[in-house]
Amino acid sequence: MIGRITSSTMTQQTLHTLQANLAQRDRLMNQATSQRAFRTPSEDPAAAASALGVHSEQARVAQYARNLNDAMAWVTTVDTALGAGIDLLNRARDLVVQGANSGAMSPAARDAIAAELESISAGLLAQANTTLAGRSVFAGTSDAGRAFEPGTFTFNGTTGSGVQRRIGDNETVRVDSDGADAFGEGATSVFAMLNDIAAELRAGGEIGSRLGDIDARLESMIAARGATGAQQSRIERASAQNLAVSVDLEARRAEVEDVDSLEVLIRLQSAELTFQSALQVTARALQTNLLEFLR
Amino acid sequence: MSTFSGIRLAESGLAAARTGMNVTGQNIANQTTVGYTRQRVEQTPVPAPGLTGLWPSVLAVGGGVGVTAIARLGDEVLDARVRDALSASGFWRARATAASQVEAAMAEPTEDGLAATLDRFWAGWSDLANDPDAAAAHVVITNARVLVGQIAAGYQSVANQWSGLRQQVDRQISDVNAAAEQVAVLNGQIRDAVQSGRNANELIDQRNLIVQQLSTTVGATATAETDGTLTVRVDGNALVSGDRARALVVAGPVDIADGGRITVAWADRPDIAVAVTGGTVGGTISALAPEYDGGSLAAVAAAYNRVAGELATAVNDIHRTGETSAGVPGGDFFALDPAGPAALGLSVVPDGIADLALGAPGAGPLDTTIADRISALSMSASGPSATWSTFVTGFGVSVAGDLHRADIADTGAVAAIAAQQSTASVDGDEETISLLTYQTAYQASARVLTAMDEALDILINRTGLVGR
Repeated sequence: MIGRITSSTMTQQTLHTLQANLAQRDRLMNQATSQRAFRTPSEDPAAAASALGVHSEQARVAQYARNLNDAMAWVTTVDTALGAGIDLLNRARDLVVQGANSGAMSPAARDAIAAELESISAGLLAQANTTLAGRSVFAGTSDAGRAFEPGTFTFNGTTGSGVQRRIGDNETVRVDSDGADAFGEGATSVFAMLNDIAAELRAGGEIGSRLGDIDARLESMIAARGATGAQQSRIERASAQNLAVSVDLEARRAEVEDVDSLEVLIRLQSAELTFQSALQVTARALQTNLLEFLR
Repeated sequence: MSTFSGIRLAESGLAAARTGMNVTGQNIANQTTVGYTRQRVEQTPVPAPGLTGLWPSVLAVGGGVGVTAIARLGDEVLDARVRDALSASGFWRARATAASQVEAAMAEPTEDGLAATLDRFWAGWSDLANDPDAAAAHVVITNARVLVGQIAAGYQSVANQWSGLRQQVDRQISDVNAAAEQVAVLNGQIRDAVQSGRNANELIDQRNLIVQQLSTTVGATATAETDGTLTVRVDGNALVSGDRARALVVAGPVDIADGGRITVAWADRPDIAVAVTGGTVGGTISALAPEYDGGSLAAVAAAYNRVAGELATAVNDIHRTGETSAGVPGGDFFALDPAGPAALGLSVVPDGIADLALGAPGAGPLDTTIADRISALSMSASGPSATWSTFVTGFGVSVAGDLHRADIADTGAVAAIAAQQSTASVDGDEETISLLTYQTAYQASARVLTAMDEALDILINRTGLVGR
């Protein structure tokens, strides 16, 4: 260096270097204690930009996970109700086949079949009015207490409007099932049909011709269940994908935001060493004075 | 050559050595005084008297030593460099400090930042879309109130910092005016001292220190005049000229919402604006500038206003297309007070689920299409979340730039001060050696005096006594 070195320039330079050392140590210490790679966006604007993006994506993915859980609860409820309904209707079909054998039946036996058909009708109505957390799963967006009114079997739902759940940035899935499609409504509903058959049976009528009606209804219920099953598998796929995305996002967040503990520790150690040796050298250099050697 | 000239010669040596020791003492005494510049005795040999008279002596010896001056070992060029460097470092440090304080207050990108609160707000809508009941609606409304509160608090903290810095500019300018007065007084004293041949070194040191302060504060430059005074200039016009000083005044907005530029002008000519482009005042004014002038505080405040405005527009636009479960068309979700800044005028209108228009018209009382669409604003490329993230990133880059330039300017200032100090500062060892040298010179001069005295003694008292 060209120029004159004096004790005061030396002190100033040393203070400046020590200050820089301390700042570096402080930064590393902060990283080590907070485990975060940067404190403010200005320390690493690019990382801050990705961190902000990843944070909001993570918030969305967490929300989709909640939505997916809720959607799953809906479709499984719908599926269970439809499954039970189909079982009941199959039992009713057997009974109708049995009842159609009119020649070999006593009035008491007809009565028994009719009573069972009526109870199946009531059971189907109960399934059709299945609720989840207070909402009828077959009533769509309606706020009526039940999907079908007992007695009249009027459908309370809003036909055509489904209950949707957002399961991805650009994807929603319908989680309910249209009760009117599956069970029919009013006089043409499955409940009314079974009650009618029971009445005909009691009156001694021939009910074999009604098998076709039951089969048609069975078909539409199976179709509704199939649609629900398709939604369910879509939700399951989306769930698995959402989980994979959330793992990827966490990895990306960690890469951007978190520090490598080992690296920080080692760098902190070396900064510590530098600082200590700087202090020692300073202490030695500033002690030396010509007056020590005179006399 | 007179008989007693030897004694005079020794005396001049003694006097010079004593002056040397005194000056060295002054240096040592001021070893740690801020702004002190080391001094040195300038001595010249006194030439032999001219050859006049009846019997000129051929071999004339010089008349000893004369102290001509006590030189101040400062360097005008290095001093000017220090002033320039201090002006730059003051500017960038003030700007970077202001910007990084706002940045720290934003707490991005953490859980406490606005981005995270926005995310929670959107997530609340999605939950409400799943479950349109009173509890979820309460969560959405509370989240909205928290969001509104955070935007207002963020804006308020920037506004408070702005006001604090604005007052600081006023204080600094009055400090500058006081310092300019001091420099003018010192200029006068130094001119008198120089004209009457007195030593003005300490006064010059004092003046340099104050002018350095002026450079740090308003980026003043200075030129030395031949009469010893220093002309201090700001924006090319003299702040101090000779023993006269002018005063600066500050005008302009006193609140961040007022908008407009802060101006500095001459007190005697308020119509002439002074462009303060250096020093902490310059840096602070540039940080306080309106957004279109690159003011960092105004940029943050404007970002809060933009987010508030966009939030209100985006959410209201969707909310108004829906209808409540009772079939009433949806009103505004956020109300925006047109008076004052948007960030402070934002409020939440609905009180409960009955006021929330969650469904599309005619789609059934429990339809939540609208709630879902509002929650999807979180990924809108032009939504409030995107606006805020873009701003935070851009602001981070600009703060990083400011900090970087502040670091560079600081390094420059340290180098300039080191260069100045390497000439001007006192070194203990060096002064010890000088002290020893002068002490030896003094002893030797005393010996010369003794020798002369003894010689005269022999001449006066012993002459004529040979062989007695």
